[in-house]
Parts: sequence; C-alpha cells; structure tokens
Amino acid sequence: MEAKQGWLASRVPGLGCVCGLMKEGRAPGVCWIAALPALLGALLAVLLASGAVITVYYNPWHAYASLQGITREVRGGWLVLSYHQVGASLAFALLYLHLFRILLVRGYRAPAEFAWMLWVKLLALLLLTGWLGFVLNGGEGGYSSLFNTSNAATTLSGFPGAVAMWFLGGQPGGSTLARLLVFHVLLALCAVWVILMARAAARKARPMLQGRVVPFWPVYAAQYFAALSALALLFALLLGFAPHWGQGTQNAIPAAAMAVPSISYPWYLTPLAGLAGVFPSVTGHIWAVVAAVALLYALPWLDRSKGAPPGRVYKLLTWLLALDVLALGLFTACPIGPMLPELLTFWFFFHFLVLTPLVTMMEAA
Amino acid sequence: MMRRFFAPLLAAGLLAGAAAHAEDTLSPLKFQSEGAFGSIDLAAAQRGFAVYQGVCASCHGMGALHYRDLQALGFTAEQVAGIAASVKLADGSAATPDSHFKEPAPVNMGGATPPDLSSIVAQRPGGTRYIYNFLTGFGPAPAGITLLPGHNYNAAFPGGQVSMPDVLRDNAVTYADGTKATKAQEAADVAEFLTWASDPNLSARHAVGLRAVIFFAFLTIVAVLTKRRIWRQEG
Amino acid sequence: MAESTAKPGAVPAEADRRDFLRILAMAGGAVGVASVIWPLVDALNPDAAGAAQAQPIVTVSDIPENSAKTVYWANMPILIRRLTDKQIADAEVVAMTDLPDPAEISSRVAPGNGHFVVVVGLNTGTPCELEGNSPSGPRGNYEGWVCPCDGSQYDVLGRVRSGPAKRNLAIPRFTFINKAQIQLG
Repeated sequence: MEAKQGWLASRVPGLGCVCGLMKEGRAPGVCWIAALPALLGALLAVLLASGAVITVYYNPWHAYASLQGITREVRGGWLVLSYHQVGASLAFALLYLHLFRILLVRGYRAPAEFAWMLWVKLLALLLLTGWLGFVLNGGEGGYSSLFNTSNAATTLSGFPGAVAMWFLGGQPGGSTLARLLVFHVLLALCAVWVILMARAAARKARPMLQGRVVPFWPVYAAQYFAALSALALLFALLLGFAPHWGQGTQNAIPAAAMAVPSISYPWYLTPLAGLAGVFPSVTGHIWAVVAAVALLYALPWLDRSKGAPPGRVYKLLTWLLALDVLALGLFTACPIGPMLPELLTFWFFFHFLVLTPLVTMMEAA
Repeated sequence: MMRRFFAPLLAAGLLAGAAAHAEDTLSPLKFQSEGAFGSIDLAAAQRGFAVYQGVCASCHGMGALHYRDLQALGFTAEQVAGIAASVKLADGSAATPDSHFKEPAPVNMGGATPPDLSSIVAQRPGGTRYIYNFLTGFGPAPAGITLLPGHNYNAAFPGGQVSMPDVLRDNAVTYADGTKATKAQEAADVAEFLTWASDPNLSARHAVGLRAVIFFAFLTIVAVLTKRRIWRQEG
Repeated sequence: MAESTAKPGAVPAEADRRDFLRILAMAGGAVGVASVIWPLVDALNPDAAGAAQAQPIVTVSDIPENSAKTVYWANMPILIRRLTDKQIADAEVVAMTDLPDPAEISSRVAPGNGHFVVVVGLNTGTPCELEGNSPSGPRGNYEGWVCPCDGSQYDVLGRVRSGPAKRNLAIPRFTFINKAQIQLG
C-alpha cells in the first residue's frame, strides 16, 4: 500500500502534497472551531454540486416558471433546490461565525493579515453571490431589489456608473437574469479559489510548532469528521422542517413589473440591507455597503495593538459588535423603532473607526 | 402486486378515517398538513380538488399543475384520465393527463384579476389557515366600513374588502366519499388541496427529513465517540 | 478477531472496540456522503414532462378507414393509417420483385392489429413531409403517400414503389396498449 502510494505520488503532481497534509504535524488540543473553514469548504461543494444540477433546468428567461418546474417536475428537484437554499444559509452562518472568531482572538494581525483580507473578500463574494441568487429566483422580492439597484446604477456617473452598467447591462429586461446567472456561477467559482487561498495563507501564518506534535490523520481527521456530522445533522433539520427559514415568502410570488413591495431579504443579507437602508438615496446604499466591507478589509491597520493579546475591553466590544450586527438584521426584518437602524449602523462604523484604534492603542500602552 | 392488494384497503381506510373525524377537524380546526410532522390528508385533498374543479376553477387557474399530478393525491391513472377527459379545453378538445390545468377565461372583477392558485398557500402569510379563514370570512360589512363598488366584506382579507364574492355554500359539490359538504368542510378541504398544490413534496420532505435527522444524529454520536477515543489515545 | 479476544488483558479488547467504532464511523460517513450525493445524480434523469413527451399515448380508434392522421413525436411526423380489408388483400398479392425495397406485409403492420400502419412520414429521398393522409388528397398510383418535393410514391404500407427514394418509410417504436390506443417510444 505504501509502495503504491509512493508510485502514484511520484507520478501525479500535487498528490504528494495532499498526502503530506494528512501526515502533517499539528499542535495538540486545538478547538473544533478551527474546523470552520473546512466545514465552509464542504458547504461550498454542496452548493456547487446542487447549483450545477439546478443550472441544467434553470431558464433565466422564465426564471420563476423554471424553478416551479424543478420543484414539481424534476425527480427530487425540490431536494436539490433545498440543498442550495439551506446550503447558502448555513455557509453564511459559518462564515459570519468564523469572522467573529477571528475578530475575538485578533487573528487578523500580521502575519495573518493576508488570510484575514482573503476571508473578507470571501464575505464580499458570498454577499454578492447570495444577492444574485436572491434575484435569480424570479420572485417579487428579487425583482424589486434588481429594479432598485439598476435604477440607482443609472444615476451613478464616471467609473462606478460604468462598472454598474457593465455588470447589470442596463434596465432589467429579458436577458438580465441570463447575465446575472453567469456572474452568480463565476463568483461562486471565485469563492472556491479564495477559500483555498485563505486556508493556505492561514496555514502559512501559523506559529512554528513547538513541543509535542500530533499528526492530522487520525487525530484531527476524527475531529473534522465529528464536526461535519454535526453540520449534516443541522443541515437535515433545516432541510426537513424549516427549508425556508429566514427567507420570507416574497419570492414565492412571481415577479410582476407593477408590484413594488418593500423588499424582505433573506436573513444573511438583512444586516447589510439595514446598514445600507439608513443612508439616503440608493446611491448612498451602494456606497455604504462598499464602506462597510472596506472597513473590515482595513482592520489590520486600524488595530494599533502591536502584538498585545486581546484585553477584556476589546473582547467586550467585539461581543457588542456581534450583537449590533444581529440586531441590525433583526430590526431590519421586523422594524420596531424609528431611530434603531440608524443607531446600530452608527455603532458599527464607530466601532471600527474610533473604538478599535483607541482601545487597541490603550491596551498596547 | 402488494400495492394492488393494499390500495383498496388503504383507500377505504383513508375515506373511513376522514369520514369518521371529519367533524373533529373542524372544531377545533386542524389540518393534517400542519406542523413539523404534518403530511397531506389525501382524502381531504381529493375532496378539495372536487371543490376546486366545481367552484373555483371557473375563475382561478392553476397553471403549474398537470392532471397527471393528481395521481399523487391517490387518484388512479384511470380516474385521472377520466377527470382530464371531462375537461373541455379552450380549443374544444378534451384535456389529457399531460395537459396543464385548464386556464379559465379571463375575468375582470372591477380591475382585479383572480390570482393563479398553484402556489397560493406559499404566497400568503398564514398559508393553509388563511385560505380557510378567507373562504369562511365573508359577511355583512360592520358599521363604519364603506365598501367600494363591486366589493365584498371579508374579515380575513387585508383591508377587509375584496372583489371576490362569497362562492362556497352548503352542498356546492357532492363528495364522492359521502362526507357532508358543509361550507366549512368545503373550505377546509380546498385549503388542504391548495396546500398540497403549493408544496406537493410536503409529505416527502418531512419523511426524508426525519430519516436524515435520525441517521445523522446517530452518525454524530458515533463520530464524537470515535474522536474522543482517538484523542484519549493519541491526542 | 477471534485470536485477539482469546488473549487475556484489556489492551486488545480496547483496540477491538476502537476498530469497531472507527469502522462504524467510516461506514456511516460513506453512507452519509453517498445519500447526500444520490439525489443530485438522480435529478439528472428526464423530468416528468420529458418522460411524458418521450412516450406519448395516441388514440387511434377515431381514425376512419382508409385515412391517416399525423402526430408529431421526437420532432418527426408520425403517420398512423387504418387500412381497409381490400387494401390488405391487395397488398398481400404484390410480388416482392416489384418492390425497390422488398418487405413482407407482416413486417409493416403491428402483429394482432393488422389494420394499422404506423410510419415516420418523412420521404426517404429528398427530406420532405409526405402527403396522402386523406382519401381525397394526392396519393399517387399506389393509394399510399406521395412526396410533394421529389415525386416519390409509397403504397398503403409505406413501402416505396417509385421515385428517387429507395427505402421504405421507417417504422417508429410503438406498442398497442389496448385496441384503441398506441404508445410511441
């Protein structure tokens, strides 16, 4: 067996590298939460596979009808659609959790800042891909969101306007969803590449191993397997009993140009939608989204801690930020007060622009 | 062979069951399709189809469905062929099992058009119960509400007034299984039928989900035990 | 297995149990992955509409004697013709040497339903749809079908009798599901 592997590994480029990962030494006792990127990769594989099947039957010129056809006519088509829907939901959940964990342990600082920037890129890619998926449903909510966005894009001037026009191809019409489908697929493939890059970068940024070392196989393989089983259990629960959790019923209604409802986004887009909605005009929405992602991207430079471990105040503030983002999503979906989204959005920007540099500087001193 | 043997028994059981507790499902109102372990009440959905075909179909289409889909409700292929053959399409020919449900002639109810009912339960908040409440919610307008011309008062409809008239009444259809066709019974049956139409895979989803949850719960326990044992020895 | 349990001491038993757990976990994982992938593979089978289209059922009992009707299947016109007794008797006495593409009558009609001829209505010479379904229309010298493009003539059984065409009309797959209906495909 060993000889066979050696024979194959000496002839297939890259295989030796993969087998090497299996034998790679790791520090003992790493928490299961470090397996999140691997779980995210598994979900991405499910999304790609189910997306491939959906694309076989999906017709962007009759989006709603073709999805109805997948649900009703294709063998097990409802199951494949649910894979995609639940998979997207869980992928966002895991990515948000992963980002929060990096924030909490200050895992974004050098030498891991490149890995952090890749994770933020992955977030941006998934947000865009998720929005495109929402639009590709051909339902009322997706159409309205597309309509608003392309309306705003026509008011942009200069380079941003040109990019937006290039992306959307003008006013929503017959072929808009066909081009958005291509972008949906391309961005998803980019996301796979980015997650591989991010994992490689994170591995490179790991501190040198000292003391006792345990092999990946079977120690961490068993841990990853347990985590994956638990994820599958959660997946099955959602798939069987709450397939549309956090999605709203709006996209169940076919898009009609005359209906202009207030859009209810899927849960993973609501915090961002709420943050954008605070700003006046749709142009403002777009810039707010860009600014929020750019702030995350710039976090390694906003942090002035120079290697100090995260203190109590910093941890408290990071928890507050997580609650802030959750609340932003919740109160956008079910509005209760007039000034609440404004306040929560303010806190988001205040956290990164003022509190983070201030607190980290004080902790370093 | 087995299926041929059991089908009449099953059908008889379903009909007997439905007839036996038909009154119970109305007071208090409950639908077999509700809840995490819900499944479509096939007997009720069959009766609901009769109500749709006899009453609703003259104005509301169900464009996403074919007559062959009705086999999922427990109708045999011959029954479905008979149902389809009895439908005259717009061009005068008889429908076949592979035809889509017949689109009714366009109706204009004072500016409103009757919505397609294929996915109506998924499209309305409250779903099945909303359909029942809507169909039984017509009545005289309370004081203080001025109805628009051509509108009717309905307590369940958002805004209270709707172009659709109150169409269900006792014995609007005759049920093949002998269930008493009261107005409430008709509304409950058609709500169950429309629930199936909106989500034909509801029963299958719950069955698959339950099996998958049991399997992965078992696998998670095994995986966690394996991990613990390996970590105790090597970790 | 038997060997290790025979030996006293806790270590082999421990190893056994661990092996069993590991094998169970691996087998469970394999079953899990396979059952997640299976619906994705299965979904690529033809859908319900495709399956219905692939094997349409055609009612033939409404075709009058000496007439044919055209149905379209797999983008081809399928001609279904009901023969008269006389046409069958006439066809039986045609000498094989008179035929450019000899074929017995038994090979041209459905066994047990000898009055029906089911053929693909495309000329085997110049690709063209044939004429001659109705008794009053153009049928050529052999009471069958003619090609309006190159003048090829076919008899009632769809055998080529004259013209540029050299082969008989193709016969699609079909079965009589009862006396009144056939299923194509």
